[in-house]
Amino acid sequence: MAATTEAKVRQLAWVYDLNKCIGCQTCSVACKVLWTRDEGEKQQWWCSVNTMPGLGTPKNWESMGGGIDLVTARPRPGHQPTREEFGGGFDFNYDEVFYGGTGGKAHLEPQAPRENRWAMNWDEDQGAGEWPNSYYFYLPRMCNHCTNPVCAGACPTGALHKTDNGLVLRDEDICMGDRFCMEACPYKKIYFNYERHVAQQCIGCFPRIEAGVAPACVRQCPGRAVFVGYLDDEDGPVNKLINTWKIALPLHAESGTGPNVYYVPPLSPYRLNEDMSIDYETPRIPPEYLESLFGPEVHTALGRLKGEMESVRGGAKSEMLSTLIAYHWQELLGPFTVDPATLTPNGNGHREV
Amino acid sequence: MKVAKLSGALADPQWAGWSGADGATVALKPVALESQPNAYIREAWKDRDYGQVAEGQVKAASDGERLYLRVEWPDDPAPNAEFQDAVSAIFPTNGSGVLATLGDADKPLVLWFWENGRPEALRLISRGPGVFRRDTGDGVAAAGVLADGRWSVVLSGPAAIGAKGKVGLAVWNGSNDERAGLAAVSREWLPLEMD
Repeated sequence: MAATTEAKVRQLAWVYDLNKCIGCQTCSVACKVLWTRDEGEKQQWWCSVNTMPGLGTPKNWESMGGGIDLVTARPRPGHQPTREEFGGGFDFNYDEVFYGGTGGKAHLEPQAPRENRWAMNWDEDQGAGEWPNSYYFYLPRMCNHCTNPVCAGACPTGALHKTDNGLVLRDEDICMGDRFCMEACPYKKIYFNYERHVAQQCIGCFPRIEAGVAPACVRQCPGRAVFVGYLDDEDGPVNKLINTWKIALPLHAESGTGPNVYYVPPLSPYRLNEDMSIDYETPRIPPEYLESLFGPEVHTALGRLKGEMESVRGGAKSEMLSTLIAYHWQELLGPFTVDPATLTPNGNGHREV
Repeated sequence: MKVAKLSGALADPQWAGWSGADGATVALKPVALESQPNAYIREAWKDRDYGQVAEGQVKAASDGERLYLRVEWPDDPAPNAEFQDAVSAIFPTNGSGVLATLGDADKPLVLWFWENGRPEALRLISRGPGVFRRDTGDGVAAAGVLADGRWSVVLSGPAAIGAKGKVGLAVWNGSNDERAGLAAVSREWLPLEMD
């Protein structure tokens, strides 16, 4: 009897530790220089970090609909983010500043109308609350490579598909630029290339994954704040953070698409009273705000984190905290530990181990 | 509709020689909501009108090498920065095909597709509303002009397709976010009589 082999379908997942993300945008830039430097991609940031609470990118994306109605199981109509809502892709007055003979008078400025100007990370560090109880935290975002990708379901040409490792990829030769995917995506992380008439989004660095190299957003993170790995890898930190310790949660799970980017929610300093004494009962980031992002499980997750920290302060050891601290940075990379500098080009011009 | 034998600037929608070509008015109707290819589109458009262009004027001519179809229809002036007006001439592949659904899996249709702002015209194989694939067998060209509130577009391709003997029409109103299967389409084939 002939042996049959069946490709095992797995799911890649990312975990961002929001207590370690410093908003440095290294992940954003690592992605940008690798994937979106071609024609029509100037305004595209497949990975981007925004300050929360904030309007984010595209502007006000959390109010744009999309996803699946969990009651009716039907897709929820969404708004297609416009060029203006994404913003960015500015030209700058480099010539004037550097060569225009204007000395220190001219300063770098986007060459775009001031009115309604917007871009990725436009509302950086704005946050919310009143001094001394103002607060903010950073939220890196990318395609969630959803288990139930509504973008793929909404595409009339079948340009999007789920790969055997769970990535949602687009065949740009098939994409007609209809942009139903952008409407349907509840995370609004699909961009439109107005030059090439195709939609584009994070590809999970699949050529790196295939060569055993971690995605650029993960490998380049100087804060050791993001993990990648397969959800079913029981010994991997991704699985433990999500399933064993349950301290990594999906963003807006109510969108119903089964996102595979998870977040360790941010701990918060306590509020200060008017006399500057500490109100130990009230965290500065309103719990209900965190719940609106990460669901009711956020309270348990934060409680678990705090409890673990308390126990370590008492002298105990904690695998959970050691994992989050990431003493050995290669643990962040899951099975994708190959150093890209060790790859050599093969005969096809591709890189191989 | 007789395909006029003409020589001159046939690819130019504003060429005066087009006045000598036979013409026809083609009634257009929206592709039915229930025919749309997926639940998302049906849900998103169930309460919205589309396929808003009610009719188009078509003229046909050939210089022996290429078939030229000049289509004219009223423009919706409402601004839309995201979606553009578009038009297609439609041909059968297997002798027939359902215009109302822009073809189906068994009987796909050929579309010569022009979209305002798109640098090149496309030849598409259509297997349903918006179920399009680019076809490499090209040679399709198009040019469009907006004047006096009306679009005039000339689509052209190898004259051999005229032997199919019929043509259909689809128009997308970009001002109304129309694209893919959200089109106004002729329901009856218009006979093409080649000399």
